[in-house]
Formats: sequence, structure tokens, C-alpha cells
Amino acid sequence: MSTSSQNNVRLGIFVTIGVLILVVSLYIIGKNQNFFGSGYSLRARFRNVSGLMVGNNIRYSGIQSGTVSKIAVIDDTTIEVTLLVDVKMRPYIHQGASASIGSEGLMGNKVINITPGNAQLPLLAEGEMLLTKKVASTDEMLETLSATNNDVQIIAENLKNTVVKLNNSTALWQVVNDSTLPGNIRVSMDNIRQATEQINEFSAAINEMVKEAEKGEGVAGTLLKDEAAATDLKNAIRNISRISEDAKVLIAHTDSAVKQLDRNVNNGPGVAHAVLKDTGIVKKLTTSLGNIEKGTAAFSENMEALKHNFLTRGYFKKQAKKQKKATQNK
Amino acid sequence: MRMPDSFNKYLDETGATSRFTYRYFHELVRPRYEIRQFLRQCYLIGYTSLPLIGITGFIMGLVLTIQLRPSLISYGVESQLPVMVALAIVREIGPVITALIFAGKISSSIGAELGSMKVTEQIDAMEVSGTNPFKYLVVTRVAASTLMLPVLVMISDAISLYGSYLGVNIRGNTSLRLFFFQVFQTLQFGDVLPAFIKTFFFGFAIGIIGCYKGYNSSKGTEGVGRSANSAVVVSSLMVFIIDLIAVQITDILGLN
Repeated sequence: MSTSSQNNVRLGIFVTIGVLILVVSLYIIGKNQNFFGSGYSLRARFRNVSGLMVGNNIRYSGIQSGTVSKIAVIDDTTIEVTLLVDVKMRPYIHQGASASIGSEGLMGNKVINITPGNAQLPLLAEGEMLLTKKVASTDEMLETLSATNNDVQIIAENLKNTVVKLNNSTALWQVVNDSTLPGNIRVSMDNIRQATEQINEFSAAINEMVKEAEKGEGVAGTLLKDEAAATDLKNAIRNISRISEDAKVLIAHTDSAVKQLDRNVNNGPGVAHAVLKDTGIVKKLTTSLGNIEKGTAAFSENMEALKHNFLTRGYFKKQAKKQKKATQNK
Repeated sequence: MRMPDSFNKYLDETGATSRFTYRYFHELVRPRYEIRQFLRQCYLIGYTSLPLIGITGFIMGLVLTIQLRPSLISYGVESQLPVMVALAIVREIGPVITALIFAGKISSSIGAELGSMKVTEQIDAMEVSGTNPFKYLVVTRVAASTLMLPVLVMISDAISLYGSYLGVNIRGNTSLRLFFFQVFQTLQFGDVLPAFIKTFFFGFAIGIIGCYKGYNSSKGTEGVGRSANSAVVVSSLMVFIIDLIAVQITDILGLN
């Protein structure tokens, strides 16, 4: 074999490999996109395809089973998607199967998920319509979440203010830290309970009284119901009022009298003033009383002397006998 | 109005290259095809470049995977590493890196080869002997480089992805099967075909510029060096310009 033909063989191998790589990769890509695979088409109508594109995958219960072949706008609210589904999936897609738009992962490409329908129903034929199911889209979720977030923000703000106020309140913390408080509260509650019991009894009694009063019995009843008594009461009150008027006049008189007396006693020329107020008289009186005492003592001596006097001695003896007799008779 | 000299020179060069390109297509379709020479050039241009391109591709895949891993980990999508690397390699890095290596190796060798033939007047001699030098030298080389680069890119992509698989397995753990499925789950025709098509243009630009520079080499050994050098520079630049145009076109066509 000459060098030239040897080289040609090498060249042939080289080119074949290159072309083979191209062809095989194109074939695999095509197969992935169902360009060559035998598929049949199904249709589904959506309101919103959320960015679905021609060539996006179709999953039947999660199995790769075809691609989107056409997306057409039917009218302002309907978008028709034509799905090219693998023939090998045909025996499993029954009427009532539903299509929904999902995505590969959180941010990935859109996919159409076919959920199996009722196995009793006939199979879907070429070009037939799949039911569609609306799945909560991320956009909608985010929209709702955004509204919720705003509310949460307001609530958090208010809550924060409240908590700050609570934190800054020393009174509250004193109350919270006070260990005797629970006991006190318990006692208070007990008292309140007793008080209410008493109030209960009291109100029962009042009730009773009111009932009696309504019947016209008892003092209250008389007061409330007896008209004659009311008239008497009125008269009595009027009389009391009149008496109090008189008493007022009397008191005024008494008052002036007392004042007069007072004045006389303090300053007047009468005996009372002399006795009560004049100190000179008191001295005089004391001296006089002393003199009287002395006088009586002297008199007593004189009388003793008289008894022993012979002129008067008989008289005194008679008197003593008479006295003796009187006591013996008793 | 007088244009600056450099601008005039640029326009002159562009015009000459265009004419050269037109002549290439003209000669390409005219009968008497130099099949043997074409195959020989395919072998030289394509097959002998394989080891170089294979090694660079392997290293690119491995390095790219290791470099991307920390960023993906920080986003919590380490599992998407094969996907990211596959997209980067197939869409951009594979074709462009391969084309640049290819330009470095092929464009310079064509430029130098044709330049020295021109300088030593072999091309003139060929014309005298009745062989069409353009057909024999230029058409075969340009056609070979146009057709061989896409093949090289495909093989390089495959080797790069294998390197990436090894790169994933340095720190993580994945089976070749899972790696393979992840990659092909992500790749679309829109990723592979535009990248594949643009490699033809890369190959063509590299071949035609190398041939033009060599074929129009100025006299003397210095001219050979200059033509080899400018062939590499211009063809590398052209690779990027074509890449820019290609990405615009695929974008407009909605293939991205």
C-alpha cells in the first residue's frame, strides 16, 4: 500500500469520525425533541401558558413523553397548545386526562404535566383535547405573599411599638415582679366573691322589701303607698319646721340674755360681780370671818364663865336635868 | 480628497483579496479537478492537525469545567456544570479556539509554502509547464481547509466534552451516562447547527487568506516571512469577525 493511499485511509477515518459525531449528536438532539420519533398530537387550551415555548417537554406522571409542537392564540382568553406525545404513551392517556403547566425546578424551563385520567374511559385519539388544570403559579403566589407581607409589616410595627412601651413601663415590671401580688389578688378575689354573695343576699332582701312595699306592707310600704300617712308625715314635718323656727327665736333671746348676764357679772355693780370678780371684798370677807371666829371663841369662854357664876348656876343645872329626863324618856 | 496611505492600502488589499476569492470560485467550478492533490491537502491540513487540536480541545474542556465550578457552586447549581460547559463548548469555544489554532498552524504554513514557491518562481514554472498553478495550489488548499475545519471542530467538541467530564469528576462525581444525558438534554439544533455552519466560513477564510498572502508574496526571503506572519494575523482576525457576523445572523433568525 502506498503512502498516499495509506494517508487517504487515515483521512477517511478522520472525516468519518467527525461526521459521525455530528450526525449522532444531531440525531440524539432530534430524538430528545421528538423530531424523528413517531408521535401523535393532542391539544390543550389554557388561559395563560406562563412562558411555555415550543420544544418544552411534556411529562406524563413525571416521565418524559414528548414536546410542545405549537402554541397558538385562539382568542384573547384562550391559548391552544399542541402537544406531540410519544406513541408509546398512547395506551395510557385516556379521556379525562388533564394537562397542567409546571416548571422544571424552581427557576427551570416550563413543562406540561399530563395527569392520568379515568382508565375506564376510551383512549384519546389524534388531535383530541386534553382537560386543563390551573396550577397556582409562582407569580400569583408571590402576589398574595406580597399583600400578606404588607399586613405582616404593619402588624409587626404595631407589635414592636407595644412591646417597646411595655418594656419601658416600670409600673408594669413592678407589677410583674411583685411576688405578693398573686396572693393579694387571690384574697381580693375572695373578698369580691364574698361581697358579691352579700350583694346577692342584699339584693334578694331588697327584692323582698320592694315586693312588700308594692303590696303596701311594712314601713316602706306605708311610706310609699299610704297616702294618709304621707299627709300626716307632711304635717309633722311642717310642725317640726315651725317649732324649729320658734326654737331659733328662743335661742336668740336666750343668747342675748346670757350676754347681758355675762356683761353684768363681769362689769356691773351687782353682788354677783362683787362676789365673783372684786378681790378686795374677798379679803374683807376673810378678815371678817376671822374676827367672827375670835368673837365666838371669846363668847364661848364667857358662857363657860357664866355657868360657874352663882347667879346663873341654878338655871344651868335645871336645864341639864331636863335634858337627862328627855333622853331617859326616849 | 486624498485618503491616507494606510487606508488606500487597506482598500487595495481588500479589493485584491476579493478578486482572489472570485478567482477561487471561478477555478473551483471549472473542470479538471485536482482530486489527488485535494485529498493530499485534506490529509495534511486536517488529519495532521488532529493531535494539536485534540490536545487543545481536551484542555479547554477540562479547564473551563474547573473554572466554572466555583461560580456555579455559588449559585447552588453545581449539577448544571455539564450543561454550562457543553453550551459554552458547542456554541462558541469549540469552533473559535479550534479555528484559531487551525489558523496558526495552517494559514502560516500555506502562506510560507506558497510564498517560497512564489519567491523561487516555482509558480511561474508551473504555469509554463501547462499546469494551472491556481487550481493546483490554491483551490485544493482552500477547499481542504474549508471542509476539514468543521470535521476538526466536531472531533474537538467531542474531546472537549470528554475533558469536561473528567473535570466534573475531579471534584464531583457523575457517570458518563448521566453527563451525556444532561448534555444532550440541553443541546438543541439551534446550538449545534449554527456553530457547525460557521466553521465552514472559518475554514474558508483561513485557507483563502493563507493562499492569498502566499500567492502574492513579495520577492525575497523577507517577503516569505511577512506573508506567513500576516496570513496568521489576518486570518485570526477574520475568524473573530465572522464569529461576530454569525452570532448576529443566528440571533436575527431566532436560533439562539
